[in-house]
This record gives sequence, structure tokens and C-alpha cells, in this order.
Amino acid sequence: MLRAAWRIAWKDVVGDFRRRATLSSMLFFAIAVLVVFQAAFEPDRQEATRLLPGLLWVTVLFTSLVGLGRVFQAEEEDGALEGLLLSPMPRGVLFLGKWWGNLTLTILVELMLVPLLMVLFNVNLWQRMPLIYGILLLGSLGLTGLGVLLAALTQGARSRETLLALLLLPLMVPLLIAGVQATGGILNGGEAGPWLRLMIIFDVVYLALAPWAFGWLMEE
Amino acid sequence: MGRLRGPAGWATLGALGVGLFLVLTAPADFQQGNSVRIMYVHVPSAKMALLVYLFITIAAIVHLWRKSARADLLVEAAVPVGTAFAAVTLATGSIWGKPMWGAWWAWDARLTSMLVLLILYVGLAALRSALEDPVKAGRATSVLVLIGAVDLPIIHFSVTWWRTLHQPASFKGSGTPAIEGALLTPLLAMSLAFVVLGIYLVLLRAGLVADRRRLEALEMEEPTHG
Repeated sequence: MLRAAWRIAWKDVVGDFRRRATLSSMLFFAIAVLVVFQAAFEPDRQEATRLLPGLLWVTVLFTSLVGLGRVFQAEEEDGALEGLLLSPMPRGVLFLGKWWGNLTLTILVELMLVPLLMVLFNVNLWQRMPLIYGILLLGSLGLTGLGVLLAALTQGARSRETLLALLLLPLMVPLLIAGVQATGGILNGGEAGPWLRLMIIFDVVYLALAPWAFGWLMEE
Repeated sequence: MGRLRGPAGWATLGALGVGLFLVLTAPADFQQGNSVRIMYVHVPSAKMALLVYLFITIAAIVHLWRKSARADLLVEAAVPVGTAFAAVTLATGSIWGKPMWGAWWAWDARLTSMLVLLILYVGLAALRSALEDPVKAGRATSVLVLIGAVDLPIIHFSVTWWRTLHQPASFKGSGTPAIEGALLTPLLAMSLAFVVLGIYLVLLRAGLVADRRRLEALEMEEPTHG
């Protein structure tokens, strides 16, 4: 069962490297957000340290929209979604595959984003790096889980990407608050524990709900 | 459902008449003066915004579980009603907030949650209208209703927590002393009137949606005859 999910994720990631290049779009979109942020606020080093958690999570959230807009693109172009739906596996497994594919791309972008932030805003995060990556991973599980489900909801809709943003951003408010607070707690010596717990609650709730919801959605 | 529409309309008119009479004859608040009267609209519409969401959550579950077209119709009919109640809640709260707190808006837990609820209602309507296939549109909307039903408590919880951990609450709603009986009667009357109003509006919208669906079904048939 899980092998089938891995196959779908693998196909999406490899297909992306070979042809669709979502990864580089996401990366350059993230850089563009950072440029906009710098141009709008011109933070000095002290301000940059204070604003960093918010900047990091806003960039991750916006960048995820670029990737999520394309989750079902290959299937739409080739009419391959029917093929996937016909294959003898539960719909939940299909969801897991699409989710893992998107999660992989998101994590790859985040791996490059943190060093970029350090360079562009001249802040030193070296000692906190593993913790920041840990929080990012925790947030990305829920972000991509709910995101892929919403991408499936809006699949085939008119002005799909606008709709996706309209639905995703308000629903992500809890994860955004928790992510920013936890990151801020780690960087500026505050409390991070309760916020990490909130992120885990968010992840567990949505990852439990999403495969079922995906099944209801794709029912014939 | 069509037969209920007339009686529901008259009941709404009566209940709102009685409610408004009680509101206008109630004594003004010792501290807040006459501006307290907006609470008699604000509190019931806030409750209705949530109650309508509860209603569409149940309807969405029935729709997904039983594949009931009627439940889907009720979801579609109730979404704009909920949107209206949420918008009225935010508008009246803002009007009350300006003289009371000196600001139109505060990023308090309940305000933020209500704002997200409003966006969610708008998103539900947008999602349905953006999908061509009515069956898929209905199903996607119902799934989104469930996602929202799970998200709203988490949002409320996280914003409350965020505000209390980060800075002292800008005001306390639930901590105020118990409401006097003289103010409670009109509040209850208005709450009841708003429930009746909500039922009436949903019935009205349900009739409209049913008619439009029948029309669309007829239009789909037409080419085969002509």
C-alpha cells in the first residue's frame, strides 16, 4: 500500500526535476518575497532578527501556494487523474502519494531558504539551525497536508490559484501563529514548547482528516 | 418546505417587532448609555453566525454520508445567510467598539475568529461558483465545510492563547458581571427573533436554490428536444 504512495510521490518529484521545475519556481518566488520584504521595510540587523520568524513563515506560506497550485497539474494536462483513480488502491493512499511529493518539494525549498535568509538579512542562525529546521518540518507537515487537500478541492475550478489562496491563508492562521511564536521563542529566548504542541495538534488533526476527506471528494 | 415560508415570514416579523420594542424600551446602560442597544443586534447575530455554521456542518455530513441532494441544497442555501450574520456581527461590533474602546478594531480572539469565519463563508460560496460540475461543486463545498468546522476551534484556541501569552487582553468580554434582568429579557427576545429570522432566510434561499437547480436541469434537457 505505502509502496504505491511512494511511487506516486517519487513520480511527482522526479517529474518535477525533469520537466515542470516547480522547485525552481518556488525557490525564486521565495527570493522575490524576500526582496519585496527588504524593499518595503529596510530592516537593520537588529530589526531583522526581531522580524525574522514572521518573515520566514510568511515566505514559506506564500511559497507553498506556488507549489500547491501545481500539485494536480500533471494529472490535469494528461487526463491521468482518472488513471490514478482507477488503480486498485484506496483513495487515501493516493492522497498520501500526492502529499509526500509536495512535502518533499517544500522541504527542499525550506532547506535552501534558511541559509538565504541568513545571507540576505545578515543574521547568524548557525547554532539554532537544527531547531529551526525541526520547527519548519513540523509546520510543513500540516501546511502541505491541508494544502494538498485544498488543491484537490479546487482542482478544475475557474481561477483555481486565487481560490486556493483565499481558502488556504485563513485556515493556516493557527499554524502561522504557532510557527512564528515557536521560532521567535527559539531565536529570542522565549517559550516554544506550547506552540510546538499546538503545531502537533494541527498536524495530527489534519493528517487524520485529509485522507478520508480526499476519499469523499473523489468518490464516483 | 415551500409551505413553511409564509408562516416563517410572519413569525419573523412578529418576533422582530416584539424584540425591537423590548430593546427600545429597555433602560440605557449605566456606563455605556444608549450605545449598549447595539448589543441586542450584535450578540444574537454573532450566535447566529456560529449556529448557521453548525447547521451547515451537520448538513454537509449528511450530504457526504448519505449523498443527499437535499442536504447539499441546504448547505448552499445557508452559506449566504451565515455570511450576512457574520458581516453584521463585525459591523455592529466595530460601531460599538469605536466609542467604547476608542478603536474600530482590536485583534482579540473572538474578533479574529469571526473575521476568519466570514472569509470562510465567502470562500465556501466562491468554491461552489468556481466549479462547473454541480455534483463536484457540492461535494467540494461539503468537504470544505468540514475542514472549516475543524479549523475554527483551533483558530479560536490559538488566537486566545497568542493574545494571553503575548500581551494582556485588550478587554474582557466574559469577565463582565452578570447582565441585569432588565437587559436580559430584550436580549433573549432578540436572540429568539434572530433564530426565527435565520430559519426564514434559509427557507427563502432554499426555495430559490431549488428553483435554480430545476431551471438548470431543464436547460440541460433542452437541446435533446430541439
